[in-house]
Amino acid sequence: MTTEDDDFRARLRDFFTAHHPGRPPKDPRERLGWTKAWLATLFDGGFAGPGWPREFGGMELSFAHQVIYHEEAARARVPGPLGTGLNIAAPTIIKYATQEQKQRWLAPMLRGDTVWAQGYSEPEAGSDLPSLRTTARRDGDDYVVNGQKVWTSHAGDADLFFTLVRTGTRESRQKGITYLVVDAHAPGVQVRPLRDLTGGHLFAEVFFDDVRVPAKNRIGEENEGWRLARTSLGHERAAGALNQASVYRRVLTELEELARERGQLSDPLVRDRFVDLEIRVRIIRYNAERTIGGILARGEAGAASSISRLLITAFEQDIHEFAVDLLGPAGLLGKSASQAVQRSRWLLGFLRTRASTIGAGTREIQLNTVAEQVLGLPHDPGMPPR
Amino acid sequence: MSASGGRAEHDDLRQVVRRFLAERSPSSEVRRLMEAGESRDDAVWALLAGQLGLTGIAVPERYGGAGYGPVELGLVLEEMGGALLVAPYLATVALAGQALAASGDEDAMARWLPGIADGSLTATLAIAEDSGSWDLAEVTATAEPSGSGWAVTGTKRYVIDGDRADLLLVVAQAPDGPGVFAVERGAAGAAGVDSGRLDTLDLTRALASVTLREAKAVRVGAGQDTAAWLSRVRDLVLAALAAEQLGGATRCLDLSVGYAKVREQFGRPIGSFQAIKHKCANLLLDVECARSAVYHASEAVAGGDPDAPLAAVLAYVYCSRAFTQAAKECIQVHGGIGYTWEHDAHLYLRRAKSSELLLGPSAPHRTRLAELAGI
Repeated sequence: MTTEDDDFRARLRDFFTAHHPGRPPKDPRERLGWTKAWLATLFDGGFAGPGWPREFGGMELSFAHQVIYHEEAARARVPGPLGTGLNIAAPTIIKYATQEQKQRWLAPMLRGDTVWAQGYSEPEAGSDLPSLRTTARRDGDDYVVNGQKVWTSHAGDADLFFTLVRTGTRESRQKGITYLVVDAHAPGVQVRPLRDLTGGHLFAEVFFDDVRVPAKNRIGEENEGWRLARTSLGHERAAGALNQASVYRRVLTELEELARERGQLSDPLVRDRFVDLEIRVRIIRYNAERTIGGILARGEAGAASSISRLLITAFEQDIHEFAVDLLGPAGLLGKSASQAVQRSRWLLGFLRTRASTIGAGTREIQLNTVAEQVLGLPHDPGMPPR
Repeated sequence: MSASGGRAEHDDLRQVVRRFLAERSPSSEVRRLMEAGESRDDAVWALLAGQLGLTGIAVPERYGGAGYGPVELGLVLEEMGGALLVAPYLATVALAGQALAASGDEDAMARWLPGIADGSLTATLAIAEDSGSWDLAEVTATAEPSGSGWAVTGTKRYVIDGDRADLLLVVAQAPDGPGVFAVERGAAGAAGVDSGRLDTLDLTRALASVTLREAKAVRVGAGQDTAAWLSRVRDLVLAALAAEQLGGATRCLDLSVGYAKVREQFGRPIGSFQAIKHKCANLLLDVECARSAVYHASEAVAGGDPDAPLAAVLAYVYCSRAFTQAAKECIQVHGGIGYTWEHDAHLYLRRAKSSELLLGPSAPHRTRLAELAGI
């Protein structure tokens, strides 16, 4: 750590302390406004977008300073970003959009003025995303979009959807996909909340019925969308890996405390289950350290980063199920039951984390990817080309 | 944050060791020594000690070593584990050498470390008895003052290279509690010391029973808090063995992936089938986690971090499982050929299961981990 690092850390800490927005409001509408206000504070103070170009309101930090940024944000427990635009759409926009588009979209996204949500998955296009069917037909200066997207989070709050649509023939697969930004408030857009297995409504279905989208909302060339969608901004995401590790560390410590209070830690079988989780949670941290160390030392994230998601998703499923097992029948109580343990968080986690190994690529698809891209195993000839 | 971000000198060291082992310890050599019941090839040992200086890597410079520590030693052991090198390296360098260097006993260090550093002396550490445990409470061998030195009596089991090592560091109960006693053995052996190699699973590493009957010994680290010293030694050994296991697990992954790319069934490489792909990807996950655990442990132990005991046992517990799993999957991916004597897969399975139990049954290690983690 250099003095410059220390100074930077101190400036962040001061800012986060001075402007921390306090506890989130319970009402969802109020909470949206509260989050937006925080993002605007960050942006206006020059503390938004650690890895983004300065030109669009970001901080353009070195990787080492991005790590510090995430550490301090986690320590201060300030709210995270809104919607999925920042992590998923922004890298594509920064790399491939026109100057006019960047001006139009990036700063408002970063400032929280516009909320972005993803429109990739469809009922018939999950793991096989290149088979997607939502069409965009060119009509003058517009595209006319028809189809259905699913598993869109933040759809209800969204101002813009970043979507993948078919502009090629039905059989064109990844060669006929275009990256299009659709105004969520345009006529013909309909959002229907989707009730998931937890009973909640985190996701929605989004229907497009003759929605007119100006061609100036297309990123890149027509039929070039597939390649564009797979953009990431260098190692930006790895910078937050340590914080993610800290979150799981905290969750495990909380479960250990619960088991201790309940007098269950004297059972050697229970202890051994904890040993297993303890090993894994520490290795999640060591992996993060090694990934970050590798990037700092040689600019390479290495294989540890490619397996981190597989590790983390299995961990979050296992810890929640173990917690429910530990609690016995009390673990089955829902939030409104008066004897519910810790507002039923473990049970909810048990249900919620079923999604961990499905969303953003199923575990099976990720294993394929690791096998082919890291280990160099041959592609399955029975599957369409990647 | 250095957790093996990797220093260039480490890459160089790794490459040198890897090349040396590929040339001088290929599978054919491992098998030749194994089948002859040899514990090393003298020429290879001489090169490894003299030309490469690997026996002195963790020996302080003032005793003729390179003055490095657990990080560099771990790296060397990782490569040796991958090659299944047949040599008294783990016992001499990682066990006895590190124990002496951590003893604070200047006389003992001056007497034996230069020999370890230049490869002229082989050594081992004898702790376990019938139970196989490294727990000092289970040590029943005794040491009594005798003339100007000590006389040690008892039976040590599962002593790595215990049949040939020139120097035995024996843990025994002295009148003031457990201590470490050095028994030297010349070409003609030593009076009161009988040893015999055991018929055990891992054919590439000799384990022996050593019986001592009033064997002449010198006490090491007399003024030391023996429990604290041996606890430090345990951390060093756990981290070292975990590094060796990591090397073995990595090789099992490489063998599996290599074979899956070339072996064809149903008219295509078996590695194109998802069942095999997923097996290999899951192995990679285990191996990468093992690597993170080992590098973290080596650095924690090297730095004497408060976290070192936990980091070391965690690495060992994780790598024990990961290596055995990798060795089993390696056989499975190879199918019938993996079940033959000619294929190396079983050599790794043998090494893996043996390493897993080399420091006693696995449950007490997990219990200790729980205690250290405050569970």
